[in-house]
Amino acid sequence: MRRFGALLAALLLAGGLTACGGEAEMQSAQVFAMDTVMILTASGGETEAALKAAEDELYRLDRELSRTRESSAVSRLNSAPEGAAEVGEELRDLIARALDFSDATGGAFDITLAPVSSAWGFTEDAYRVPAREELEELMAHVGAEHVHLGDGTAVSLDPGTQIDLGAIAKGYASDVVAAICRENGVAHSTVSLGGNVWVCGGNPEGKPWQIGIQDPARPEEADAYVGILRMSDGFAVTSGGYQRYFEEDGKLYHHIIDPATGYPAESGLTSVTVVSEGTEGSGTMCDALSTALFVMGEERALDFWRSGTFDFEAILVTEDGRLLVTAGLEDSFTPDETAGYAYEVVS
Amino acid sequence: MKLSTRQLTLCAVLTAMALALSYLENFFPLSLAIPIPGIKLGLANIVTLFALYALGPGQALLILVARCLLGAVFAGNMNALIFSLMGGVTAMLVMIGLSRLRHLSVYGVSVGGAAAHNCGQVAAAVLTLGNEAPLYYLPVLLGVSLFTGALTGLIAAFLFRALAHTRIWEA
Amino acid sequence: MRMKWSPELHPNGWDALAAAVVVVLALVSGALLYTGGPGGGDLTAVVSVDGGETDRVDLAALTGSEERVYESRGYTLRVTFTESSAQVTASDCPTQDCVHTGAITRSGQSIVCLPARLIVELEGTGDTDGPDVVIG
Repeated sequence: MRRFGALLAALLLAGGLTACGGEAEMQSAQVFAMDTVMILTASGGETEAALKAAEDELYRLDRELSRTRESSAVSRLNSAPEGAAEVGEELRDLIARALDFSDATGGAFDITLAPVSSAWGFTEDAYRVPAREELEELMAHVGAEHVHLGDGTAVSLDPGTQIDLGAIAKGYASDVVAAICRENGVAHSTVSLGGNVWVCGGNPEGKPWQIGIQDPARPEEADAYVGILRMSDGFAVTSGGYQRYFEEDGKLYHHIIDPATGYPAESGLTSVTVVSEGTEGSGTMCDALSTALFVMGEERALDFWRSGTFDFEAILVTEDGRLLVTAGLEDSFTPDETAGYAYEVVS
Repeated sequence: MKLSTRQLTLCAVLTAMALALSYLENFFPLSLAIPIPGIKLGLANIVTLFALYALGPGQALLILVARCLLGAVFAGNMNALIFSLMGGVTAMLVMIGLSRLRHLSVYGVSVGGAAAHNCGQVAAAVLTLGNEAPLYYLPVLLGVSLFTGALTGLIAAFLFRALAHTRIWEA
Repeated sequence: MRMKWSPELHPNGWDALAAAVVVVLALVSGALLYTGGPGGGDLTAVVSVDGGETDRVDLAALTGSEERVYESRGYTLRVTFTESSAQVTASDCPTQDCVHTGAITRSGQSIVCLPARLIVELEGTGDTDGPDVVIG
């Protein structure tokens, strides 16, 4: 029912998208997809066509990548007899990239946590704390080694293994939208897809876009930031336990599951933002890495950043009130002193 | 509270009248002149005022609650219940207080009740919407309650004069 | 007559005092609520449903008018935004109060549709340091 409502709203909004002339003016579109509200603004070039195409693509990706839609490519794979299916080039490539991220992050990023997330009720919004035995049984099927890439576009899953691309789909979607905007010659744009941001061209006044990073300690306050990131072109993705959680018996359980334990990651971090330049495919990377770094915790995350495996910068917020920013962001990030975090630049 | 058959009947008639007045009010949409949600003449307040003096606070409250419940049922809108109850009960409490002072005429009591009614409704709106935006209507609503309160006071005064020779409220 | 209390039927000085108290309350609440809000400057319209923000329209960025459609609790509202105003132009809600409110043009003003639990509020954006996008 909620999805139907969201779809209806999306359709109506699409109809309500109107053209307003003036090339330098920012036009905007809202898309209700992937369980979030997506806000796109753009100007210059074929803005209207770009926004329309972006909208269509976002709905298509929602249909294809959602695990809760029975007709999606992901669901077809999850429910395939013998666990094998031809999934199409796009999904196969995305799964291949996801497996690479799993490998590179030592398993901190994992698309096979689907049954575990479901057991916690995060997939169906029916929160509960699963029994330890139940989790142990499910965890036996978790791990990138249970996903096999076959010839062509074939992918197969071991029995009991299910995939969920939720931790990478919005990042991938931001890459797709970025490509559409480039093709249509969009000069200035901000695209916000539920925790995933892509900006290009700086603002129309020729200055970098200002991106507020939500303070994880005050998620219900719209203007509570840990700081402002200035960026003209690039991706930024935030993962935080505060984005989705439930409480039982006085304990909070958030939605970012540690693939090593099957329990919500207790890494000492409350929010991780991964930032990268606007090169193609970086949106997907930022999305995957923001989750992985959150699971890794401060030390492992910073070691991973220092290793240079991927080209990115990061902003970490710790449970004990510290705000850590990697050296590459020193000049473009300004902490908000009123948030009360101890600010450190890490190198 | 033990009610005689006569009192009970009177309460029922007054409740029906209050409901009819609430309905009648829809034909004078004050919101066309002053576009604020929930703004209305408050004609049903005449009944509350009358019941308060004639039958006392207990029965007046009974009539009020019955009117709010039935009104919500008839409108098929349970959301409206919290609004009418909060408005009505706040108005009732203020009017009980003001009438006990014995210095005020029906006009003053009625104006106080109308103002309290609006405060109660705004509070209900703030609570149900989880947003303080309705607060911005409060000054205007308070101003308007001067006139609506005076109007209902006037009608109530007429009513008391007209009924002075009857003895319908005697138990 | 034998009422519980006999009402006083002629207005007196005490009534004037009660009316004066209401006037003072109206003025004080008005002064508290309407001052301090930024008067001029660029406006942003914030649309929220059930207490949660669902849309934000930078009115200064509009040149012509733009209509957006919102769905909430089974009702459909069409809201028209211009450079300096916001207005509910059509709604299928039973009360129509939101439509009757007309256009709002100043920071701090709002349109409320109770049946749909939808609020359109205007915010001043005098604060140019505010971010363009928020993540998290």
